[in-house]
Amino acid sequence: MEEPRIGVYVCWCGTNISKTVDVEQVTAAVSKLPHVIIARNYKYMCSDPGQDLILKDIREHQLNRVVVSACSPRIHELTFRKVLVNAGLNPYLFEMANIREQVSWVHDDRDIATGKATSLVKAAIQRVAHHEPLEKRRVDIHPATLIIGGGITGLTAAMEIADSGNQVHLIEKSGRLGGMVSLLHQTHPHLTAGNELIQPLIDKAQPHPKVRVWLNSQIEEVTGYVGNFRARIRSGEEVEELDCGNIIVATGTKPFDPSQIPEYGYGMLPGVITSLEFEEMLRKGKIVTKDGESPCDIAIIHCVGSRNMEYHPYCSRVCCTTALKFANQIRAALPDAGIYQLYADMRSFGKGCEEFYMRTSRRGVIFMMFDQKGKLPVVKPNNTGGRGRLLISTRELLSGEEIEIPADLVILMVASEAREDARETAHLTGISLCGNQFFIEKHPKLDPVATTTDGVFIAGSCQGPKDIADSVSQARAAAARVLASILCGSVEVEVTTAVVNDKVCCGCQTCISVCPYHAIHFDEEKRVSEVNEILCKGCGTCGSACPTGAIHARHFTDDQILSQIEGLLSPITLKAMEMAMED
Amino acid sequence: MSYRIDPEFRKELGKFGVGSEWSECYHCGNCTATCPLTEEKILFPRKGIRMIQMGLKEKISAYVEPWLCYYCGDCTKTCPRDANPGELMMALRRYLTSVYDWTGLSRKFYTSKSWEFGFILFFAALVVALFSVFLPLRPDAEQMVNASGGVMINSLIAGMSPSTFVSVIEWGDWIMAMIVAGLLISNILNMFHKIVLSDHSVRVPLRAYFIGFWKLTFNFLTQARFSKCDNRNYWAGHLLLMTGYSIMFAVIVVLLPEFQTEEVNPWYHWQRLLGYYATFGILYFLIITAIGRIRRSDINLRFSHSTDWLFIIMLGLTTITGILVHIFRISGLPAATYYTYVIHLAVLVPMILVEVPFSKWSHLAYRPFAIYFSELKKAGKPRTADIGLAPAIS
Repeated sequence: MEEPRIGVYVCWCGTNISKTVDVEQVTAAVSKLPHVIIARNYKYMCSDPGQDLILKDIREHQLNRVVVSACSPRIHELTFRKVLVNAGLNPYLFEMANIREQVSWVHDDRDIATGKATSLVKAAIQRVAHHEPLEKRRVDIHPATLIIGGGITGLTAAMEIADSGNQVHLIEKSGRLGGMVSLLHQTHPHLTAGNELIQPLIDKAQPHPKVRVWLNSQIEEVTGYVGNFRARIRSGEEVEELDCGNIIVATGTKPFDPSQIPEYGYGMLPGVITSLEFEEMLRKGKIVTKDGESPCDIAIIHCVGSRNMEYHPYCSRVCCTTALKFANQIRAALPDAGIYQLYADMRSFGKGCEEFYMRTSRRGVIFMMFDQKGKLPVVKPNNTGGRGRLLISTRELLSGEEIEIPADLVILMVASEAREDARETAHLTGISLCGNQFFIEKHPKLDPVATTTDGVFIAGSCQGPKDIADSVSQARAAAARVLASILCGSVEVEVTTAVVNDKVCCGCQTCISVCPYHAIHFDEEKRVSEVNEILCKGCGTCGSACPTGAIHARHFTDDQILSQIEGLLSPITLKAMEMAMED
Repeated sequence: MSYRIDPEFRKELGKFGVGSEWSECYHCGNCTATCPLTEEKILFPRKGIRMIQMGLKEKISAYVEPWLCYYCGDCTKTCPRDANPGELMMALRRYLTSVYDWTGLSRKFYTSKSWEFGFILFFAALVVALFSVFLPLRPDAEQMVNASGGVMINSLIAGMSPSTFVSVIEWGDWIMAMIVAGLLISNILNMFHKIVLSDHSVRVPLRAYFIGFWKLTFNFLTQARFSKCDNRNYWAGHLLLMTGYSIMFAVIVVLLPEFQTEEVNPWYHWQRLLGYYATFGILYFLIITAIGRIRRSDINLRFSHSTDWLFIIMLGLTTITGILVHIFRISGLPAATYYTYVIHLAVLVPMILVEVPFSKWSHLAYRPFAIYFSELKKAGKPRTADIGLAPAIS
């Protein structure tokens, strides 16, 4: 190995670091260490002039290692690695010391902070001396895509990908395509029929030469990695395996069961129905009570299971506007009916929806606010005579009055909740779940359809309750991500993986049992373990478990870690600790 | 106590001359905030709009606040949704007048023009018929001029002495006044029952009834509450009208023998001066509001119900015929005096009978009593800890 020539750069981060850490002193303290050719500090290392400073030094002083002591590597490691690449160095010959989050932001005492910062920088210097150049690798992408869920999201993504000439496998658990949208009579706010939206998609997808529709089918197992997945699919008795490069999960949601809320009497009182049951009534073309009579008064209760800490804390997003849509549909069918909206908060967000609310409020619909955090409205049979077979009693917040609302029909706007098999689907495809059992995206703002598993995307309401427009947008976004990776043909994979030295490996297979990513398999012929470098995330678990020291994790070698620890515990640190003790 | 929603109520209220603009209200509370008359326990107009939106009919019957509003129109001006809260308060006053009236006639008059005009025409015809049958003009009426050239007004009736004629008219006045007062008092008791007695949330201490009484009198005489509104010009004009009208009413009922005299008094006589003041006061405000209603210049006069116009026309006609009687009298024209006198009464009598107990003029009693009742409620102790104010929404 060539003689290390290290450049050290201490960042002020404006006053973020410099107000607590004496950056001049840190620079001076490390500048005399072995192999350090140059040590500097600068106001903002991540700025263009800061980066240029490093670039110039690498060229001028023939540096072959760089340490930047600044913020968290999560923020700027890639920035500085790029500087090394631009200067013609391997990006892995770089180490970052975090003296902002780990020092200046968490300490008050300037002397202690300066001492700790110096130790961290020293540790990084010791470590970087042992860094080795690593090369990035690429793998080919299989052009077929697996889409789980045949609702509007899955169908839209499928058509987008298939129309571009790539094979799609569309897996649907039930016996029909169309999902939730095909159950809707009309959609808000334009009152387009649900069927009008979904049927053309189904008609196009089924005969499409590039789409294979699997009805009554379920995923049993997914193996492989980005670009090269293998899925086992069960349709009844038959089981088939297929290869694909990407997976889109679009499994949607299911309606909340309101019989859990005793106040509403669902299942006990015949006039109380769910929003989906009302959709069915609308599709059949007649609004009637259980006895087949036309209702005089219809009450719509919002937030049933949503925005309630006892059931689901989140907003289901589509119910308010759907309730407005119901009011319009009822008004059209029954011009004289009393229509009552019992809401917790009206949330008619989205394009055209506030206007829809405005129009609805002019159609003789009575809006009443109840306290979602307090006592829920109570639905009871009307034993006192007058209008309505049922009476809803509640405290109305905008008037402060205790009121009774007569109703012959009560529609419960039920929440959207995660499907019962969401956990299973997540486990099979390597997706994480949030507290509400919805799938978690890689980044809520910047990467909304990707997941932490490369090549697995999520779209539609399986990620969280969504209306049709947002689901379709996500479907097309996921399709775009998949098409981009197919177009690219190959994908770059991380190189900081584990490697087995087969001369030392004794074939005990301890590593296989501890690997959380199923990335190690046993080569029966050579009787040694072998790491699949694409599946390996470089966590290092196998390396620490290996009894013979046959496994080492690239970029986390024993030498590197031990020298880092050595640097950390060097006399500077001890001196700082003594100073702290004296205080 | 909980109130039942009545979805039909909005239709009912619509008959009292208000559109459905109030359904646009989203309860920002600007109207209440901008109103110079709202107090901590008397919040309007937003709360009233809410009751109407929900159709809390029972609650509205007990709602005193519309009478505490004098329609400056600031609420309507600042409403971001053009929900027109000021006019809604006006319509509620019409509606409440019909609620207090146990005979049901008020409702008929407000919601049906044919009922109202029919009633007026019937009494006008009755007055004319009574005069032509029992009190005809004497054939030698042209001689009934006194030494100073004025008409001897009480001597114009065939076969009737002047003192008998004055007594007949006086009796007629008193009977009419009793009928009107009887109706009005029973309606006020009805109002008292709905507003104070039916509200079980407060218990009014006995002494509050006495303490509150001076406020009633004070407000009736000065309309001090009206003066707190931003448009003080209306308050001043209205005070002129009110005092003028009250003087005229007192003069023709209580002081008729002193008012309707055979001698024409000199212009500086108290009887003539009071008459001139009253005539000026009534005419001034009538002309101002009539112009305002035609031009729709001010927000409080922009929307006119048929009863608003009827009130102006009837009072205007009464005043003009009254002036004409006076002119013909001092000009020594007995026949013209007699006929205008009959027309004057044919307008005056139905106006009093329709307007005072059943229509717009009932406010002369309801407004001061509303202040009285709200004082009673303010002095009342809540029976429970919760006085029914809307909780702050967090």
